[in-house]
Amino acid sequence: MKCTMCGTASGCDGCPIAGDFYLPATLASLAAGEKATVRRLAAAKGGDLRKLLALGLLPGVELEVERRWPAMVVRMGFATVALDAQLAEGVIVSRAA
Amino acid sequence: MKTGLNYAPPAMSHTAGLLPAAAAPVPTDVAAARWLLVGAPNVGKSALFGRLTGAYTTVSNYPGTSVEVTVGVHDLGDETVDVVDTPGMYGFLAVSEEERVARRAILEGSGQTLIQVADASHLDRALPLTLQLLALGRPLVLACNLLDEARRRGVAPDLALLSERLGVPVVGTVATTGEGVAALAEAAHGAPVPVDGWALPQPFADVVALLSERQEGVRLLDAELALCGDPEMAPARSAASPRLWLAATSMRDARWGAADGFAVALATARRRMALALLDGVVPDAPPERRARRAALDRVLLSPWTGIPLVLAVLYLGFYRFVGHFGAGTLVDLIERVAFDRWLTPPVTAGVNALVPWAVLRDLLVGPYGLFTLGVRYAVAIVLPIVGTFFLVFALLEDCGYLPRLALLLDRGLKRLGLSGRAVIPLVLGFGCNTMATLVTRTLETRRERVIVTLLLALAIPCSAQLGVVLGILSVYPAAVAVWAGVLLAVFVVVGALAARLLPGDPPSFYLELPPLRVPLVRNVLLKTLTRVRWYFAEILPLFLLASVILWAGELTGALRAATHAIEPAVRLIGLPDAAAPAFLYGFFRRDFGAAGLYEMARSGVLGPAALTTAAVTITLFVPCVAQFLVMRRERGTALAVTVLVVATGVAFATGGLVGWLLRSVGGWA
Repeated sequence: MKCTMCGTASGCDGCPIAGDFYLPATLASLAAGEKATVRRLAAAKGGDLRKLLALGLLPGVELEVERRWPAMVVRMGFATVALDAQLAEGVIVSRAA
Repeated sequence: MKTGLNYAPPAMSHTAGLLPAAAAPVPTDVAAARWLLVGAPNVGKSALFGRLTGAYTTVSNYPGTSVEVTVGVHDLGDETVDVVDTPGMYGFLAVSEEERVARRAILEGSGQTLIQVADASHLDRALPLTLQLLALGRPLVLACNLLDEARRRGVAPDLALLSERLGVPVVGTVATTGEGVAALAEAAHGAPVPVDGWALPQPFADVVALLSERQEGVRLLDAELALCGDPEMAPARSAASPRLWLAATSMRDARWGAADGFAVALATARRRMALALLDGVVPDAPPERRARRAALDRVLLSPWTGIPLVLAVLYLGFYRFVGHFGAGTLVDLIERVAFDRWLTPPVTAGVNALVPWAVLRDLLVGPYGLFTLGVRYAVAIVLPIVGTFFLVFALLEDCGYLPRLALLLDRGLKRLGLSGRAVIPLVLGFGCNTMATLVTRTLETRRERVIVTLLLALAIPCSAQLGVVLGILSVYPAAVAVWAGVLLAVFVVVGALAARLLPGDPPSFYLELPPLRVPLVRNVLLKTLTRVRWYFAEILPLFLLASVILWAGELTGALRAATHAIEPAVRLIGLPDAAAPAFLYGFFRRDFGAAGLYEMARSGVLGPAALTTAAVTITLFVPCVAQFLVMRRERGTALAVTVLVVATGVAFATGGLVGWLLRSVGGWA
């Protein structure tokens, strides 16, 4: 399977982005109904990063995508948050097996 | 229990506090208050505040509705305590202006007891802030609100255990019913200063301590925020010697790359601490989703079903209820029956009998009299319309529809340089543009705030104006369609142009979606009442002032001169000279102008084409005095004047165009 971050097809062993988990994806690339764990925040702008922190999208948080359109709706425990695809690009997750 | 007292805006004195909020110092009554309610948006701070003080701020099921800091008084029996309600904040790293307001209220106070309000179902999201508050070394109480919801979900926390672990009182509350409020007040009254031992985890502590411990007056929290790259924490940075700052940032960058990496790592570490604290406190209930609510959410959020639903809400709630019932039935009832039949005749007779001077009689009951114009317009025409609007708005707010509307319209609004968050001020603008201009503070960038301010001043009619315009045009359904179409077109074109022309990054959309809740009658009514009271306190003086100015203008002939001066412009868009006074009134209140047209439509001076033209022009025309003053205060004089000029230009250009088009189409004369 190809890595969605760097395009390598050889897996993620030793990958500096992936660390100790497999197949990193951005939150924006998840389909509705998919579950994942936040691994890293990679927002380009400091302002965007703070918004992600405010929403509670922190490394280690488990989430489920409820819908992708017209904006991403993500559920974490009992909290539900909405964010646009551009912000969701900055959240690196690993899909739940 | 006494009435609460708002400082600056919601009470909205136009005379005081005309400085931008960011520059204003924390008011003394806030700094001197003893209890400070803090916490994330939409966890029930304002509702708890209402329970504690008896005062009611506008509480709603929407993140970010308390824009201002509100002060109230809690009665302890033998003494009273000042209580402050702050806007919601997710953490000390502020994103929006309202979060900065809350942060400053906390950081610039000293010694107050902090009451953190948390949603009992999401304690994992609240405890990181608790840990930061503990570091301030001030008395702290944690209120786990919405406990009823947590119980229903099977995740009610073990409050005693949490209290033991944190070392501060933890109280469960249900603000909507009042459960636990007395216990909260008692806990806050005797809250001790928490014991030390809530230092930052390593390796963060070393870096932060480098900045904080080696210099006077820099708290750990200030140092931490400075290292997280917070631009407002410059004091902590400038207090440090360049060498110290360099040492701290080098340590930070070596380990975490940069400020952003540091911020994320620190937040993650705090979250881990929070989860450890909650271990055994919150039962492990899998967050099952209620099927019915999920289905309802799908209907509301999918554009295929959501957009028709928006239109249905607009039609039923605003057009039928506010437009027909409020602006039609109620206005008729109050104006024709209460005023024309019962109130006006005895008042006029009384004044005529008691006041011998004709000039003074005119001031009271003449054509521009304080009673006949000021009080009558405010009570009979504006009050029913505004009241019904705020009722519908409160209903939508309380059930949690507005955040879903924001999500639904985000993509469309992005084309106008806005994000879905702009929905709130824009919708509120249909109630009162002045209030809505104030609420633009919840938007994140100045660019968005400017665009919304402009659109509000130009293309969003306030409910009073809306009601009167719909009242006038309701005779000609086609005219309503033309008017609405033109306004929408202006809204979209001006928004799209502003998005192109104004510098800055396009906004991003992020919002917490609170669960859909069945609206509580008490909440809805109190909210409506609070807003109507605010609105009324705001407009009645202006109506009276307008009456006096018009009366003086009539007396001195200045009114006629001013009317003559704008007649050419009025003629230019194809209206009779008789319409000129209506435009003049529009300066005082937007609806005042429309109300002037109302009289003319009734007496049949204007035909459908002229009426439509006049309605379009007057809706687009300058904002009212109150809105202008708030615009000036929030955005600065230069921008307020620019908006005024743009609005006037666009209003007459559009009016002229519409008038010309309608006259060239047959059947409209």
